[in-house]
Amino acid sequence: MSTTSPLRVRLTRRQALGLAAGGAAGAAGLRLVTLHPWGGGSSAGTAASASAGGANGAWASPLGSGPRPLAAHLLRRAGLGYSPQELDAAAKLSYSDLVDKLVSTKAEQPAALPAEQRFQYQMVSRWWLQHMATTAAPLPERMTLFWHGHFTSDFRKANALPFVYQQNQLYRRLGTGDLRSLLLGVVYDPLMIRYLDLDQSTAKAPNENFSREVMELYTLGAGNYTEQDVREGARALSGIRFVLLDSGGAPLQLPRRMGMTAKEYAQQLAQLIDAGATFAGRLQPRVHDTGTKTYLGRTGNLGPDEVVDTLLAQPSCAPFIATKALTYFCTPSPSKDLVTRVANQFRSSKYDVKTLLRAIFTSSEFTDPSSYRSLVRSPVDYTVATMRALQRPQLVPQAMAAGATMDQVLYDPPTVAGWPVNAGWVSSSAWLARVNFAQTVVAQRGVTLPDVTAGLHAQLDGVVGPDTASVLNHAATDADRWYALLSSPEFQLK
Amino acid sequence: MSLTRRDFLAGGLLATGAGLVVPPVLARGVLAANSDGVHNDHVLVVLQMGGGNDGLNTVVPYADSAYHDARPTIGVALDKVLHLDGSVGLNPALAGLKSLYDAGRVAIVQGAGYDNPTYSHFEALQVWEYADPQRRATDGWLGKLMAAQQKAAADSLAACALGQASTPAELRASGATVSVIDSIAAYDVQGGAVRQAAAPALYKRTPGIYGALFDQALSTAESGIAALKDASSYKPATQYADTATVYGSKNSIASSLQLTAQMIVTQPGVKVCHVVLGGFDTHQDEAVRQTALLTDVDRALSAFMQDLDAHGVADRVVVMTWSEFGRRVRENGSRGTDHGSAAPVFVVGKPVKGGLYGAAPSLTDLDNGNLKHTVDFRSVYQAMIQDWLGGDAQSVLGGSFPTLPLLA
Repeated sequence: MSTTSPLRVRLTRRQALGLAAGGAAGAAGLRLVTLHPWGGGSSAGTAASASAGGANGAWASPLGSGPRPLAAHLLRRAGLGYSPQELDAAAKLSYSDLVDKLVSTKAEQPAALPAEQRFQYQMVSRWWLQHMATTAAPLPERMTLFWHGHFTSDFRKANALPFVYQQNQLYRRLGTGDLRSLLLGVVYDPLMIRYLDLDQSTAKAPNENFSREVMELYTLGAGNYTEQDVREGARALSGIRFVLLDSGGAPLQLPRRMGMTAKEYAQQLAQLIDAGATFAGRLQPRVHDTGTKTYLGRTGNLGPDEVVDTLLAQPSCAPFIATKALTYFCTPSPSKDLVTRVANQFRSSKYDVKTLLRAIFTSSEFTDPSSYRSLVRSPVDYTVATMRALQRPQLVPQAMAAGATMDQVLYDPPTVAGWPVNAGWVSSSAWLARVNFAQTVVAQRGVTLPDVTAGLHAQLDGVVGPDTASVLNHAATDADRWYALLSSPEFQLK
Repeated sequence: MSLTRRDFLAGGLLATGAGLVVPPVLARGVLAANSDGVHNDHVLVVLQMGGGNDGLNTVVPYADSAYHDARPTIGVALDKVLHLDGSVGLNPALAGLKSLYDAGRVAIVQGAGYDNPTYSHFEALQVWEYADPQRRATDGWLGKLMAAQQKAAADSLAACALGQASTPAELRASGATVSVIDSIAAYDVQGGAVRQAAAPALYKRTPGIYGALFDQALSTAESGIAALKDASSYKPATQYADTATVYGSKNSIASSLQLTAQMIVTQPGVKVCHVVLGGFDTHQDEAVRQTALLTDVDRALSAFMQDLDAHGVADRVVVMTWSEFGRRVRENGSRGTDHGSAAPVFVVGKPVKGGLYGAAPSLTDLDNGNLKHTVDFRSVYQAMIQDWLGGDAQSVLGGSFPTLPLLA
C-alpha cells in the first residue's frame, strides 16, 4: 500500500496553501484549495474571488491563467467532456482556433444502427450515447442533444415506427446549419408530427397543440402571440401527415398493421428500410385549410412554410433562441445586453447556428470568472463526461440505467418544454443517483482505472473546494479517489 | 388552537417525567407539532394531474344539453355518469371516488380557476405552483409554508416529493428542504461505509452559486436515509393496483401513493407530500386516455384511503388534487380537447366535509370557448394551509380569499 503517492503529497502541500488563503478571505467565506498552480504562474491566492459566489465564496476561476483551463471550460460546454489526452491536444490551439475547430467540424455519422433496432427508443438512445461517448466531432453531437431538448419529442407515439431514430438523425444533420431549415425539418418531422398531434389536425377541425408550442416553446416565447394566433396557426398547419417514401422519394404504401404484433410489424417495415425507405412529413391538400388566415399580423392563404417564415420574421425569435442557448451554454441568467448582442449576430447571419455558437463562445461573459462552474451538468452530460474522462464507452448500459434515477431518459422529457437546466436537476434523490453512478463506475470488476492524478488535473482544473480536497486526502485507493472525483460538486458543474 | 388527540398524548408522555423513555417516533412527532410553520400532526398530500385534466369529463354536467352538443364523440354517455346530484356526476372511471363521496369523504370544488387564465402549460403550472396568477412569485406555495416549519424543526422529511426524481416547483422555496424519494430502496449511498462517509463529506461547504443547493441535497438525503431505517416496518394493508404506467405518464400513481402511505405511517415528521401523474394533455383520443388515467388515480386513491384506515392514520391525512387547467368545452377534430381554463379540485379524506362546493361553470356563457371560473383556486389552498395544517395562509398567499368550509 502506498501512503506516499505523488497525489497525496501534492494534495497535502496544496491544502496547506489553501488553508492559508482561507484565513486571508475573512468574512467573505472560505477560500479554495488549489491543487495545482496553472502554467507555473498563478497560485491559489491569485485567482480566487470570494464575493458573489454563495455562502462559501466563489470558485477560484482559472480561466484567466492559461490555455488549458480555458480549453477545458470550452470542451465541457461546447463538447461533451474529454480525456486528459483530448484536453492536451485542444490546449495546444489558441482559444479562437479551438472555437473555430469545434464549431466548423462536421458532424460525424454514427455507425449505422441496424434497421430493426431503429424501432426501439432504448436501442436508439444506447447507440446515441455510445456515439456521444466516442465521437471526435463533439460539438455537432452536443447540438443534437441541445435540439433534442429544445424541439423535444417523446418516444411514446412512435411505437413500432422508426421515428425516434429519424429525428435524431435530423437534428444531427441540420443542427449546426440554419434555423429555417431546421425548423422546417421539425414541422415535417414524423416524430414531431405524432408527438404534437399535427397528424390529427384537419381543415375542418384544426388541432392547436403544435401551433401553440411552436410559438411558446420553440421560437417566440409566451407573451409574443395571441390566442387568435394559436387558432390561426393551427389552421395554417393543418393537413400535415407522415408518409413512407422509397429510396427515390416516391410514395410507398404503408403496410397494414392489422393482426400483427408491434415486433412483427417492425420487422416488416425494417425490410423496407433496409431497401432505402424513409418516413417523411408531407402536406396533404385534401385535409389542409386553404382559406385565408391572419397569423402574427400576416394575412393570406398561409401554410406551414409561411408559418415558419412568419415566425422567423418576428423580433422576439432571435432573442428567444439566444436566451435559450446562452442559458444552456454560457450563464444561468444572461443579461439583456448579452442576449441582444448574440441575438443580433444570429439574426443578421440569417439564423446561422454556427454564428450563434461563435458569438456565445467568444463573448467576454463566456470566459469571465463568474462563468466558471456556473452551469450544472445534466445527467447525460455527467455520464457522458464520465465515460469520456475514463475512456470507457463500455459504460453506456450503466449510464442508461442511471439516467432514469437522475431523471433524464433520452426521448422521455418531463414535458413538452424539454429538459430542465442547472438548479432544475438538483434534488436529494438525483444527487444520490449521481454518487451511486460513480460507485458503479469505480466498482467495475476487472477494469483498471486510468491515472487519477492526471484525471484530477484535467477534469477539475486542479481547482477543488475544501471538502473535495479533504476527501481526496483521506482516500486510500485510486478507486476511492476516482469516486471522490466523479461524485464531487466540481465534476457536476461546467 | 385546540390540541389534537396526538398533541395531547405526546404532551402527556413528556410530562410523566424521569424514567419514561419517549419512543423516538413520538419524540419526532412532538417536534413537528411544536414548530413554527404548521401546528398539528396533520398531513397534506398533493396529487398533481399533469398536462391539464379535462374537468368536464371528470365531473360531468350530464343534465346540460350543451355538454352533449359540445362533446359529440367524447362526451360521457348519460347512462354511464355516476350521479352526484341532479345536474352533475362523476366519470364512470371514478367508481372508488364515488363510494368515498357517498361516505362523505370527498369535497369537490367546482369551477376552480383565476382571472385572465393562461392557456400555456408552463404559465398555468406557474400560477398554481406559486399561487400567483400574476406569475411574479418566486417561491412555491408549499415550500413557502414549509420553510418556516423547517427552520424550527429541521426535519428533512417534513416535505417530500414521492415516486419522482426531481423537486416539484410548488415545494421549492428559499429555506425549504425537500426530500425527493423515488423509492426507499434506492434512497441510499451504495458501496458500503467508506462511500457512505465520503459522499456527504464532499458536500459540506461547496463554493459557488449552487453550493448551498448541492449541500442541502446531500444533507437532506443523508438525514432522510437515517430516518428511513425504520420505514421497513410498514406493510401495505391493502392491495395497490399494479404499477404499470399508463400511456403518457412517467409515474405510477399507485406506487407513489403506496410510498406516501409508508412515509406517513412510519415517519411522524412528514407534513406535506407531493405525488404526480402526468399524461392528461389529451389533445387526441381523450376517451381512451383519460379513462385509463382516471382509473389509475381512482384505484390508487381508493387503496390509499383503505391503507390509511387500516393503519389508523386516516384522521391525519387529506389529499388535494390539482391540474394546471381544464380543457376547451368543445371537443376538437382528434376526439380530444385543447387547452382550457377552470376545472374541479378534489379534496379527499376522512377529515373532509364531503359534498359539492362552488358553482358548476356555465357551458353557454363562455370566454372564447372556455369556461369562466366560479371559485378562486387559492380559496382551496387557504383552506388547506389554515384549516388543515394550521398555518398562516395570509403570509403564504399574500391575501385572503373567500372561505371554503372543506373540513369537518
